[in-house]
Amino acid sequence: MAKILLVDDEEHIRLLYQEELAEEGYDVVTAATGYGLLDVISRERPDVVVLDIRLADHDGLELLQEIRNTYYDLPVILCSAYESFKKNLKAIAADAYVVKSSDLNPLKKAIQRAVEGRGVTGSKEGV
Amino acid sequence: MHTLVNGYEENPQRITKADIVVGIPSYNEADGIAYPAARASEGLIQFFGNKSSVIINCDNDSQDGTKEAFFSTSTEVPKIYLSTPSGVRGKGNNLMNLFAKVHELGAQACVVVDADLKTITPRWIRSLGEPLFMDFGFVSPIYVRHKYDGTITNNIAYPLTRSVYGRRVRQPIGGEFGFSGDMVELFMNREYWNDEVAQFGIDIWMVTMAIAHDIPICQAFMGRPKVHRPKDPAAQLGPMFTQVVSTIFGLMGCYEDRWRQVKWSKPTAVFGFGLGEVEAPPAVAVDRDRLYERFMEGSEQFEAVWKKAMGPEVFEKLCEARDIGREYFDFPTQLWARILFDYAVAYQAPDTDRGLLLESLIPLYYGKVYSFVQRTANMSIQETEEYIEDRCLLYEEARPYLDDRWDARGGSDGQDSAG
Repeated sequence: MAKILLVDDEEHIRLLYQEELAEEGYDVVTAATGYGLLDVISRERPDVVVLDIRLADHDGLELLQEIRNTYYDLPVILCSAYESFKKNLKAIAADAYVVKSSDLNPLKKAIQRAVEGRGVTGSKEGV
Repeated sequence: MHTLVNGYEENPQRITKADIVVGIPSYNEADGIAYPAARASEGLIQFFGNKSSVIINCDNDSQDGTKEAFFSTSTEVPKIYLSTPSGVRGKGNNLMNLFAKVHELGAQACVVVDADLKTITPRWIRSLGEPLFMDFGFVSPIYVRHKYDGTITNNIAYPLTRSVYGRRVRQPIGGEFGFSGDMVELFMNREYWNDEVAQFGIDIWMVTMAIAHDIPICQAFMGRPKVHRPKDPAAQLGPMFTQVVSTIFGLMGCYEDRWRQVKWSKPTAVFGFGLGEVEAPPAVAVDRDRLYERFMEGSEQFEAVWKKAMGPEVFEKLCEARDIGREYFDFPTQLWARILFDYAVAYQAPDTDRGLLLESLIPLYYGKVYSFVQRTANMSIQETEEYIEDRCLLYEEARPYLDDRWDARGGSDGQDSAG
Protein backbone atom coordinates (compact mmCIF):
# COMPACT_ATOMS: atom_id res chain seq x y z
CA MET A 1 0.00 0.00 0.00
CA ALA A 2 1.51 3.32 -1.03
CA LYS A 3 1.80 5.97 1.67
CA ILE A 4 0.75 9.54 0.91
CA LEU A 5 1.87 12.50 3.00
CA LEU A 6 -0.69 15.29 2.63
CA VAL A 7 0.49 18.76 3.67
CA ASP A 8 -2.28 21.34 3.86
CA ASP A 9 -3.15 23.96 6.45
CA GLU A 10 -6.90 23.68 5.90
CA GLU A 11 -8.42 21.01 8.10
CA HIS A 12 -11.44 20.28 5.93
CA ILE A 13 -9.17 19.71 2.93
CA ARG A 14 -7.04 17.29 4.92
CA LEU A 15 -10.12 15.38 6.09
CA LEU A 16 -11.70 15.26 2.63
CA TYR A 17 -8.53 14.19 0.84
CA GLN A 18 -7.62 11.69 3.55
CA GLU A 19 -11.01 10.02 3.25
CA GLU A 20 -11.05 9.98 -0.53
CA LEU A 21 -7.48 8.74 -0.89
CA ALA A 22 -7.95 6.09 1.80
CA GLU A 23 -10.91 4.80 -0.22
CA GLU A 24 -8.54 4.44 -3.15
CA GLY A 25 -6.40 2.17 -1.01
CA TYR A 26 -3.69 4.61 0.05
CA ASP A 27 -2.26 4.93 3.52
CA VAL A 28 -2.62 8.67 4.21
CA VAL A 29 -0.77 10.70 6.81
CA THR A 30 -1.27 14.44 7.14
CA ALA A 31 0.60 17.53 8.25
CA ALA A 32 -0.93 20.94 8.86
CA THR A 33 2.29 22.88 8.75
CA GLY A 34 5.55 23.14 6.88
CA TYR A 35 7.57 23.23 10.08
CA GLY A 36 9.73 20.17 10.44
CA LEU A 37 8.47 18.75 7.16
CA LEU A 38 11.78 17.09 6.33
CA ASP A 39 11.68 15.36 9.72
CA VAL A 40 8.14 14.18 9.02
CA ILE A 41 9.26 12.79 5.67
CA SER A 42 12.22 11.12 7.31
CA ARG A 43 9.98 9.53 9.92
CA GLU A 44 7.00 8.57 7.77
CA ARG A 45 8.88 7.61 4.57
CA PRO A 46 5.96 8.49 2.26
CA ASP A 47 5.85 7.30 -1.34
CA VAL A 48 4.29 10.57 -2.48
CA VAL A 49 3.96 14.04 -0.94
CA VAL A 50 0.92 16.15 -1.81
CA LEU A 51 1.92 19.70 -0.96
CA ASP A 52 -0.19 22.83 -0.71
CA ILE A 53 1.55 25.99 -1.93
CA ARG A 54 -0.07 28.67 0.23
CA LEU A 55 0.53 27.27 3.68
CA ALA A 56 -0.08 29.60 6.58
CA ASP A 57 3.50 29.34 7.78
CA HIS A 58 5.48 28.39 4.68
CA ASP A 59 5.79 28.85 0.95
CA GLY A 60 5.15 25.44 -0.60
CA LEU A 61 7.49 26.21 -3.50
CA GLU A 62 10.33 26.82 -1.07
CA LEU A 63 9.47 23.59 0.72
CA LEU A 64 9.54 21.81 -2.61
CA GLN A 65 13.13 22.95 -3.15
CA GLU A 66 14.09 21.76 0.33
CA ILE A 67 12.49 18.39 -0.27
CA ARG A 68 14.11 18.04 -3.69
CA ASN A 69 17.55 18.89 -2.32
CA THR A 70 17.26 16.16 0.29
CA TYR A 71 15.06 13.54 -1.36
CA TYR A 72 16.10 13.70 -4.98
CA ASP A 73 13.46 11.37 -6.38
CA LEU A 74 10.62 11.58 -3.88
CA PRO A 75 7.46 12.36 -5.88
CA VAL A 76 5.93 15.69 -4.90
CA ILE A 77 2.59 16.86 -6.23
CA LEU A 78 1.80 20.53 -5.81
CA CYS A 79 -1.84 21.07 -5.00
CA SER A 80 -3.12 24.62 -4.96
CA ALA A 81 -6.30 26.58 -5.32
CA TYR A 82 -4.35 28.93 -7.57
CA GLU A 83 -3.47 27.94 -11.12
CA SER A 84 -1.19 30.97 -11.35
CA PHE A 85 1.63 29.39 -9.33
CA LYS A 86 2.11 26.97 -12.20
CA LYS A 87 3.83 29.88 -13.98
CA ASN A 88 6.50 30.00 -11.28
CA LEU A 89 9.62 28.29 -12.57
CA LYS A 90 10.17 26.71 -9.18
CA ALA A 91 7.09 24.58 -9.79
CA ILE A 92 8.94 22.54 -12.44
CA ALA A 93 10.69 20.61 -9.70
CA ALA A 94 7.32 19.03 -8.84
CA ASP A 95 6.14 15.80 -10.37
CA ALA A 96 2.75 17.31 -11.08
CA TYR A 97 0.68 20.41 -10.43
CA VAL A 98 -2.98 19.96 -9.57
CA VAL A 99 -5.52 22.71 -9.07
CA LYS A 100 -7.81 22.06 -6.12
CA SER A 101 -11.39 21.35 -7.07
CA SER A 102 -14.34 19.24 -5.98
CA ASP A 103 -13.28 16.73 -8.62
CA LEU A 104 -10.42 14.79 -7.07
CA ASN A 105 -9.78 12.69 -10.15
CA PRO A 106 -6.84 14.81 -11.45
CA LEU A 107 -5.16 14.47 -8.06
CA LYS A 108 -5.83 10.74 -7.92
CA LYS A 109 -4.45 10.34 -11.45
CA ALA A 110 -1.33 12.32 -10.56
CA ILE A 111 -0.79 10.21 -7.44
CA GLN A 112 -1.26 7.00 -9.39
CA ARG A 113 1.34 8.10 -11.96
CA ALA A 114 3.76 9.13 -9.25
CA VAL A 115 3.40 5.80 -7.49
CA GLU A 116 3.80 3.87 -10.75
CA GLY A 117 6.87 5.89 -11.66
CA ARG A 118 8.70 5.45 -8.37
CA GLY A 119 11.95 3.64 -8.25
CA VAL A 120 12.73 3.48 -11.95
CA THR A 121 15.01 6.47 -12.17
CA GLY A 122 18.18 7.60 -10.50
CA SER A 123 18.94 8.41 -6.92
CA LYS A 124 21.26 10.88 -5.27
CA GLU A 125 23.01 9.37 -2.35
CA GLY A 126 24.31 11.45 0.47
CA VAL A 127 22.00 14.40 0.16
CA MET B 1 40.51 5.41 -22.24
CA HIS B 2 40.83 8.04 -24.91
CA THR B 3 43.57 10.62 -25.29
CA LEU B 4 43.72 13.68 -27.50
CA VAL B 5 42.49 12.87 -31.02
CA ASN B 6 45.91 13.23 -32.61
CA GLY B 7 45.34 16.91 -32.41
CA TYR B 8 47.49 19.54 -30.80
CA GLU B 9 47.57 21.54 -27.63
CA GLU B 10 48.92 24.92 -26.63
CA ASN B 11 49.39 25.33 -22.90
CA PRO B 12 51.58 28.41 -22.55
CA GLN B 13 51.23 28.58 -18.77
CA ARG B 14 52.04 24.88 -18.41
CA ILE B 15 48.94 24.10 -16.36
CA THR B 16 49.06 20.53 -15.05
CA LYS B 17 46.30 20.53 -12.45
CA ALA B 18 42.93 22.21 -11.93
CA ASP B 19 39.94 21.74 -9.65
CA ILE B 20 37.47 23.22 -12.10
CA VAL B 21 37.58 23.73 -15.86
CA VAL B 22 35.46 25.84 -18.17
CA GLY B 23 35.42 24.42 -21.70
CA ILE B 24 34.43 26.42 -24.77
CA PRO B 25 34.00 24.28 -27.90
CA SER B 26 34.34 26.18 -31.16
CA TYR B 27 34.75 26.20 -34.88
CA ASN B 28 35.47 29.55 -36.51
CA GLU B 29 34.32 31.64 -33.56
CA ALA B 30 36.97 34.35 -33.65
CA ASP B 31 34.29 37.05 -33.49
CA GLY B 32 32.49 35.63 -30.47
CA ILE B 33 34.81 33.64 -28.21
CA ALA B 34 36.30 36.56 -26.28
CA TYR B 35 33.02 37.35 -24.55
CA PRO B 36 32.28 33.93 -23.00
CA ALA B 37 35.99 33.47 -22.20
CA ALA B 38 36.08 36.76 -20.26
CA ARG B 39 32.83 36.02 -18.40
CA ALA B 40 34.06 32.50 -17.59
CA SER B 41 37.20 33.94 -16.03
CA GLU B 42 35.17 36.39 -13.95
CA GLY B 43 32.87 33.62 -12.80
CA LEU B 44 35.73 31.33 -11.83
CA ILE B 45 37.45 34.08 -9.84
CA GLN B 46 34.27 35.34 -8.20
CA PHE B 47 32.67 32.04 -7.24
CA PHE B 48 35.47 29.49 -7.26
CA GLY B 49 38.33 31.70 -6.14
CA ASN B 50 39.50 29.14 -3.61
CA LYS B 51 39.96 26.50 -6.28
CA SER B 52 42.47 26.18 -9.08
CA SER B 53 40.89 26.70 -12.47
CA VAL B 54 41.59 26.89 -16.18
CA ILE B 55 39.65 27.85 -19.31
CA ILE B 56 40.03 25.51 -22.27
CA ASN B 57 39.09 26.34 -25.82
CA CYS B 58 38.52 23.01 -27.59
CA ASP B 59 38.52 23.84 -31.26
CA ASN B 60 38.28 22.27 -34.71
CA ASP B 61 41.49 23.81 -36.02
CA SER B 62 39.68 27.03 -36.96
CA GLN B 63 41.44 29.12 -39.57
CA ASP B 64 39.63 32.36 -38.77
CA GLY B 65 41.81 33.29 -35.80
CA THR B 66 39.73 31.69 -33.05
CA LYS B 67 42.83 30.56 -31.18
CA GLU B 68 44.42 34.00 -31.38
CA ALA B 69 41.18 35.68 -30.26
CA PHE B 70 40.95 33.26 -27.34
CA PHE B 71 44.51 33.80 -26.17
CA SER B 72 44.36 37.56 -26.63
CA THR B 73 41.33 37.80 -24.33
CA SER B 74 42.44 39.28 -21.03
CA THR B 75 41.62 36.82 -18.23
CA GLU B 76 42.89 36.23 -14.72
CA VAL B 77 42.39 32.51 -15.18
CA PRO B 78 45.00 30.66 -17.28
CA LYS B 79 44.02 29.29 -20.65
CA ILE B 80 44.70 26.17 -22.71
CA TYR B 81 43.94 25.64 -26.39
CA LEU B 82 43.17 22.19 -27.77
CA SER B 83 42.43 21.31 -31.36
CA THR B 84 41.39 18.32 -33.39
CA PRO B 85 43.68 17.62 -36.35
CA SER B 86 43.23 19.68 -39.47
CA GLY B 87 40.07 18.60 -41.27
CA VAL B 88 38.53 16.84 -38.28
CA ARG B 89 35.32 18.65 -37.37
CA GLY B 90 32.59 18.14 -34.83
CA LYS B 91 31.54 19.42 -31.43
CA GLY B 92 31.65 15.88 -30.10
CA ASN B 93 35.27 15.49 -31.17
CA ASN B 94 36.07 18.77 -29.46
CA LEU B 95 34.43 17.62 -26.27
CA MET B 96 36.18 14.26 -26.36
CA ASN B 97 39.44 16.20 -26.38
CA LEU B 98 38.12 18.26 -23.48
CA PHE B 99 37.18 15.12 -21.53
CA ALA B 100 40.71 13.79 -21.94
CA LYS B 101 42.23 17.04 -20.75
CA VAL B 102 39.85 17.39 -17.79
CA HIS B 103 40.78 13.86 -16.78
CA GLU B 104 44.49 14.61 -17.16
CA LEU B 105 44.15 17.74 -15.01
CA GLY B 106 42.31 15.77 -12.34
CA ALA B 107 39.47 18.27 -12.27
CA GLN B 108 36.44 17.64 -10.07
CA ALA B 109 34.14 19.73 -12.22
CA CYS B 110 33.85 20.99 -15.77
CA VAL B 111 31.47 23.60 -17.13
CA VAL B 112 30.92 23.94 -20.89
CA VAL B 113 29.54 27.04 -22.57
CA ASP B 114 28.97 27.83 -26.24
CA ALA B 115 31.40 30.14 -28.00
CA ASP B 116 28.66 32.25 -29.61
CA LEU B 117 26.94 33.19 -26.35
CA LYS B 118 26.02 36.84 -26.02
CA THR B 119 24.26 36.81 -22.66
CA ILE B 120 26.49 34.67 -20.45
CA THR B 121 27.22 36.18 -17.05
CA PRO B 122 29.73 35.08 -14.39
CA ARG B 123 26.78 33.61 -12.48
CA TRP B 124 26.26 31.06 -15.24
CA ILE B 125 29.59 29.51 -14.27
CA ARG B 126 28.45 29.35 -10.67
CA SER B 127 25.02 27.90 -11.53
CA LEU B 128 26.48 25.19 -13.75
CA GLY B 129 29.51 24.49 -11.54
CA GLU B 130 28.35 24.66 -7.95
CA PRO B 131 26.01 21.63 -8.01
CA LEU B 132 28.98 19.53 -9.16
CA PHE B 133 30.55 20.11 -5.75
CA MET B 134 27.26 19.03 -4.10
CA ASP B 135 27.26 15.45 -5.41
CA PHE B 136 25.41 16.11 -8.65
CA GLY B 137 27.09 14.46 -11.62
CA PHE B 138 25.53 16.38 -14.48
CA VAL B 139 24.03 19.86 -14.68
CA SER B 140 21.76 21.03 -17.47
CA PRO B 141 20.63 24.63 -17.92
CA ILE B 142 17.23 26.23 -17.62
CA TYR B 143 16.94 29.53 -19.37
CA VAL B 144 14.21 31.44 -21.04
CA ARG B 145 14.35 31.09 -24.80
CA HIS B 146 12.11 32.65 -27.40
CA LYS B 147 9.26 30.31 -28.26
CA TYR B 148 10.68 29.75 -31.75
CA ASP B 149 14.28 29.29 -30.63
CA GLY B 150 15.02 25.65 -29.93
CA THR B 151 12.34 23.97 -32.02
CA ILE B 152 14.29 20.68 -32.12
CA THR B 153 14.45 20.84 -28.33
CA ASN B 154 10.77 21.64 -27.92
CA ASN B 155 9.37 19.21 -30.46
CA ILE B 156 11.82 16.30 -30.31
CA ALA B 157 14.68 16.24 -27.80
CA TYR B 158 12.81 17.31 -24.67
CA PRO B 159 9.56 15.38 -25.14
CA LEU B 160 11.35 12.23 -26.34
CA THR B 161 13.88 12.23 -23.49
CA ARG B 162 11.07 12.84 -21.04
CA SER B 163 8.65 10.25 -22.37
CA VAL B 164 11.21 7.55 -23.18
CA TYR B 165 13.65 7.80 -20.26
CA GLY B 166 11.25 9.32 -17.75
CA ARG B 167 13.41 12.25 -16.73
CA ARG B 168 12.37 15.87 -17.37
CA VAL B 169 15.47 17.71 -18.56
CA ARG B 170 14.10 20.85 -20.20
CA GLN B 171 17.17 21.81 -22.26
CA PRO B 172 18.89 18.54 -23.12
CA ILE B 173 20.69 20.07 -26.11
CA GLY B 174 21.05 23.59 -24.80
CA GLY B 175 24.78 23.82 -25.38
CA GLU B 176 25.68 24.75 -21.80
CA PHE B 177 26.16 22.11 -19.11
CA GLY B 178 28.36 20.94 -16.30
CA PHE B 179 29.70 17.50 -15.47
CA SER B 180 31.78 16.01 -12.69
CA GLY B 181 35.17 14.36 -12.90
CA ASP B 182 33.47 11.00 -12.40
CA MET B 183 31.27 11.62 -15.42
CA VAL B 184 34.36 12.30 -17.51
CA GLU B 185 35.52 8.75 -16.95
CA LEU B 186 32.12 7.49 -18.07
CA PHE B 187 32.23 9.68 -21.18
CA MET B 188 35.76 8.55 -22.01
CA ASN B 189 34.60 4.94 -22.20
CA ARG B 190 32.91 6.06 -25.43
CA GLU B 191 29.85 3.91 -24.89
CA TYR B 192 27.83 3.96 -28.12
CA TRP B 193 30.07 6.61 -29.62
CA ASN B 194 29.67 7.13 -33.36
CA ASP B 195 30.02 9.75 -36.10
CA GLU B 196 26.77 11.51 -35.15
CA VAL B 197 27.77 11.75 -31.50
CA ALA B 198 31.13 13.13 -32.59
CA GLN B 199 29.23 16.02 -34.21
CA PHE B 200 26.06 17.64 -32.80
CA GLY B 201 24.79 14.41 -31.24
CA ILE B 202 27.13 14.99 -28.31
CA ASP B 203 24.74 17.01 -26.11
CA ILE B 204 21.91 14.50 -26.15
CA TRP B 205 24.44 11.66 -25.84
CA MET B 206 25.79 13.13 -22.61
CA VAL B 207 22.35 13.72 -21.12
CA THR B 208 21.19 10.25 -22.09
CA MET B 209 24.34 8.70 -20.65
CA ALA B 210 23.73 10.53 -17.38
CA ILE B 211 20.12 9.37 -17.20
CA ALA B 212 20.86 5.81 -18.29
CA HIS B 213 23.64 5.44 -15.73
CA ASP B 214 21.51 6.88 -12.90
CA ILE B 215 23.79 9.85 -12.45
CA PRO B 216 22.20 12.53 -10.23
CA ILE B 217 21.15 15.31 -12.61
CA CYS B 218 20.37 18.87 -11.67
CA GLN B 219 18.98 21.73 -13.71
CA ALA B 220 20.58 25.11 -13.17
CA PHE B 221 18.48 28.23 -13.49
CA MET B 222 20.51 30.75 -15.46
CA GLY B 223 18.42 33.88 -14.96
CA ARG B 224 19.26 35.57 -18.23
CA PRO B 225 17.88 34.26 -21.51
CA LYS B 226 20.16 32.41 -23.88
CA VAL B 227 21.01 34.73 -26.72
CA HIS B 228 23.22 33.37 -29.44
CA ARG B 229 22.99 33.30 -33.20
CA PRO B 230 19.28 32.57 -33.63
CA LYS B 231 18.23 30.36 -36.50
CA ASP B 232 14.98 30.41 -38.42
CA PRO B 233 13.98 26.73 -38.16
CA ALA B 234 12.65 26.84 -41.72
CA ALA B 235 15.87 28.18 -43.19
CA GLN B 236 18.82 26.67 -41.36
CA LEU B 237 18.09 23.18 -40.14
CA GLY B 238 21.40 21.83 -41.32
CA PRO B 239 22.99 18.56 -40.24
CA MET B 240 22.19 19.14 -36.58
CA PHE B 241 18.72 17.70 -36.97
CA THR B 242 19.79 14.32 -38.32
CA GLN B 243 22.74 14.09 -35.93
CA VAL B 244 20.58 14.74 -32.88
CA VAL B 245 17.68 12.55 -33.95
CA SER B 246 19.95 9.74 -35.08
CA THR B 247 21.69 9.81 -31.71
CA ILE B 248 18.38 9.69 -29.85
CA PHE B 249 17.09 6.76 -31.91
CA GLY B 250 20.41 4.94 -31.74
CA LEU B 251 20.63 5.25 -27.98
CA MET B 252 17.08 3.94 -27.63
CA GLY B 253 18.33 0.70 -29.12
CA CYS B 254 21.33 0.64 -26.78
CA TYR B 255 19.45 1.47 -23.59
CA GLU B 256 16.30 -0.54 -24.26
CA ASP B 257 16.56 -2.38 -20.96
CA ARG B 258 16.69 0.93 -19.15
CA TRP B 259 13.81 2.83 -20.70
CA ARG B 260 11.43 -0.10 -21.02
CA GLN B 261 10.98 0.07 -17.24
CA VAL B 262 9.75 3.67 -17.38
CA LYS B 263 6.06 4.50 -17.20
CA TRP B 264 5.83 8.17 -16.35
CA SER B 265 8.34 11.00 -16.13
CA LYS B 266 9.91 12.48 -13.05
CA PRO B 267 11.11 16.04 -12.50
CA THR B 268 14.74 17.01 -12.09
CA ALA B 269 16.11 19.00 -9.18
CA VAL B 270 16.58 22.73 -9.83
CA PHE B 271 19.44 24.86 -8.58
CA GLY B 272 20.01 28.59 -8.63
CA PHE B 273 16.76 30.44 -8.10
CA GLY B 274 16.74 33.93 -6.69
CA LEU B 275 18.62 35.60 -9.50
CA GLY B 276 16.09 38.39 -9.82
CA GLU B 277 13.85 39.30 -12.72
CA VAL B 278 14.00 37.12 -15.79
CA GLU B 279 14.77 39.01 -18.97
CA ALA B 280 12.80 38.45 -22.14
CA PRO B 281 14.80 36.96 -25.03
CA PRO B 282 14.82 38.62 -28.46
CA ALA B 283 12.32 37.41 -31.02
CA VAL B 284 13.19 34.72 -33.55
CA ALA B 285 11.63 35.09 -36.97
CA VAL B 286 9.99 32.11 -38.62
CA ASP B 287 9.07 31.75 -42.28
CA ARG B 288 5.73 29.95 -41.98
CA ASP B 289 5.16 29.72 -45.73
CA ARG B 290 8.43 27.92 -46.16
CA LEU B 291 7.69 25.47 -43.33
CA TYR B 292 4.37 24.47 -44.87
CA GLU B 293 5.80 24.27 -48.38
CA ARG B 294 8.60 21.99 -47.20
CA PHE B 295 6.11 19.73 -45.47
CA MET B 296 4.02 19.42 -48.62
CA GLU B 297 7.03 18.95 -50.88
CA GLY B 298 8.29 16.23 -48.58
CA SER B 299 4.92 14.55 -48.70
CA GLU B 300 5.29 14.08 -52.45
CA GLN B 301 8.90 12.96 -52.17
CA PHE B 302 8.72 10.62 -49.19
CA GLU B 303 5.17 9.29 -48.98
CA ALA B 304 6.32 5.74 -49.69
CA VAL B 305 8.95 5.92 -46.95
CA TRP B 306 6.44 7.38 -44.51
CA LYS B 307 3.98 4.60 -45.25
CA LYS B 308 6.60 1.95 -44.66
CA ALA B 309 7.94 3.50 -41.47
CA MET B 310 4.64 4.22 -39.76
CA GLY B 311 1.93 2.03 -38.37
CA PRO B 312 -1.05 1.95 -40.77
CA GLU B 313 -3.36 3.95 -38.52
CA VAL B 314 -0.72 6.58 -37.93
CA PHE B 315 -0.06 6.93 -41.64
CA GLU B 316 -3.78 7.24 -42.28
CA LYS B 317 -4.09 10.00 -39.68
CA LEU B 318 -1.12 11.80 -41.18
CA CYS B 319 -2.70 11.75 -44.65
CA GLU B 320 -5.93 13.03 -43.15
CA ALA B 321 -4.10 15.95 -41.51
CA ARG B 322 -2.17 16.71 -44.70
CA ASP B 323 -5.21 16.60 -46.98
CA ILE B 324 -7.22 18.98 -44.85
CA GLY B 325 -5.47 21.92 -46.52
CA ARG B 326 -3.40 24.78 -45.20
CA GLU B 327 -6.26 26.88 -43.86
CA TYR B 328 -7.22 24.23 -41.32
CA PHE B 329 -3.92 22.37 -41.11
CA ASP B 330 -2.97 21.07 -37.69
CA PHE B 331 -0.41 18.45 -36.73
CA PRO B 332 -1.80 16.90 -33.53
CA THR B 333 0.83 16.17 -30.90
CA GLN B 334 -0.61 12.68 -30.34
CA LEU B 335 0.06 11.97 -34.02
CA TRP B 336 3.55 13.51 -33.97
CA ALA B 337 4.48 11.50 -30.88
CA ARG B 338 3.40 8.26 -32.55
CA ILE B 339 5.32 9.17 -35.71
CA LEU B 340 8.48 9.73 -33.69
CA PHE B 341 7.95 6.42 -31.91
CA ASP B 342 7.37 4.67 -35.26
CA TYR B 343 10.56 6.20 -36.62
CA ALA B 344 12.51 5.15 -33.54
CA VAL B 345 11.35 1.58 -34.13
CA ALA B 346 12.03 1.69 -37.87
CA TYR B 347 15.53 3.02 -37.16
CA GLN B 348 16.41 -0.19 -35.32
CA ALA B 349 15.69 -2.56 -38.22
CA PRO B 350 18.91 -3.89 -39.74
CA ASP B 351 17.72 -3.39 -43.32
CA THR B 352 16.71 0.23 -42.79
CA ASP B 353 18.34 2.91 -44.91
CA ARG B 354 18.80 5.20 -41.93
CA GLY B 355 19.91 8.16 -44.01
CA LEU B 356 16.74 7.99 -46.08
CA LEU B 357 14.60 7.42 -43.02
CA LEU B 358 15.95 10.50 -41.25
CA GLU B 359 15.73 12.57 -44.43
CA SER B 360 12.07 11.64 -44.70
CA LEU B 361 11.45 12.82 -41.12
CA ILE B 362 12.60 16.36 -41.90
CA PRO B 363 9.46 17.46 -43.81
CA LEU B 364 7.30 15.93 -41.10
CA TYR B 365 9.25 17.98 -38.58
CA TYR B 366 8.64 21.09 -40.69
CA GLY B 367 4.93 20.28 -40.67
CA LYS B 368 4.96 19.88 -36.90
CA VAL B 369 6.89 23.14 -36.40
CA TYR B 370 4.45 24.95 -38.71
CA SER B 371 1.57 23.67 -36.62
CA PHE B 372 3.41 24.61 -33.40
CA VAL B 373 3.99 28.14 -34.69
CA GLN B 374 0.34 28.49 -35.69
CA ARG B 375 -0.89 27.24 -32.33
CA THR B 376 1.41 29.44 -30.28
CA ALA B 377 1.32 32.55 -32.47
CA ASN B 378 -0.64 34.59 -29.95
CA MET B 379 0.89 33.06 -26.86
CA SER B 380 3.47 34.66 -24.62
CA ILE B 381 6.72 32.82 -23.98
CA GLN B 382 5.35 31.65 -20.63
CA GLU B 383 2.09 30.46 -22.16
CA THR B 384 4.06 28.60 -24.82
CA GLU B 385 6.13 26.98 -22.08
CA GLU B 386 2.96 25.75 -20.38
CA TYR B 387 1.66 24.57 -23.74
CA ILE B 388 4.84 22.53 -24.30
CA GLU B 389 4.60 21.02 -20.82
CA ASP B 390 0.96 20.07 -21.40
CA ARG B 391 1.82 18.55 -24.79
CA CYS B 392 4.56 16.47 -23.19
CA LEU B 393 1.91 14.60 -21.23
CA LEU B 394 0.49 13.46 -24.57
CA TYR B 395 3.85 11.90 -25.46
CA GLU B 396 3.84 10.11 -22.13
CA GLU B 397 0.29 8.91 -22.69
CA ALA B 398 1.37 7.60 -26.10
CA ARG B 399 4.16 5.51 -24.55
CA PRO B 400 2.16 2.24 -24.71
CA TYR B 401 2.13 2.68 -28.49
CA LEU B 402 5.93 2.79 -28.51
CA ASP B 403 6.12 -0.27 -26.29
CA ASP B 404 3.71 -2.20 -28.52
CA ARG B 405 5.54 -1.24 -31.70
CA TRP B 406 8.90 -1.98 -30.13
CA ASP B 407 7.71 -5.44 -29.11
CA ALA B 408 6.30 -6.10 -32.58
CA ARG B 409 9.39 -5.04 -34.51
CA GLY B 410 10.97 -7.69 -36.64
CA GLY B 411 7.53 -9.10 -37.48
CA SER B 412 6.40 -9.99 -40.99
CA ASP B 413 3.97 -7.14 -41.57
CA GLY B 414 6.50 -5.19 -43.59
CA GLN B 415 6.19 -2.12 -41.37
CA ASP B 416 9.59 -2.31 -39.80
CA SER B 417 11.91 -0.39 -42.01
CA ALA B 418 12.06 2.58 -44.27
CA GLY B 419 13.70 0.44 -46.93
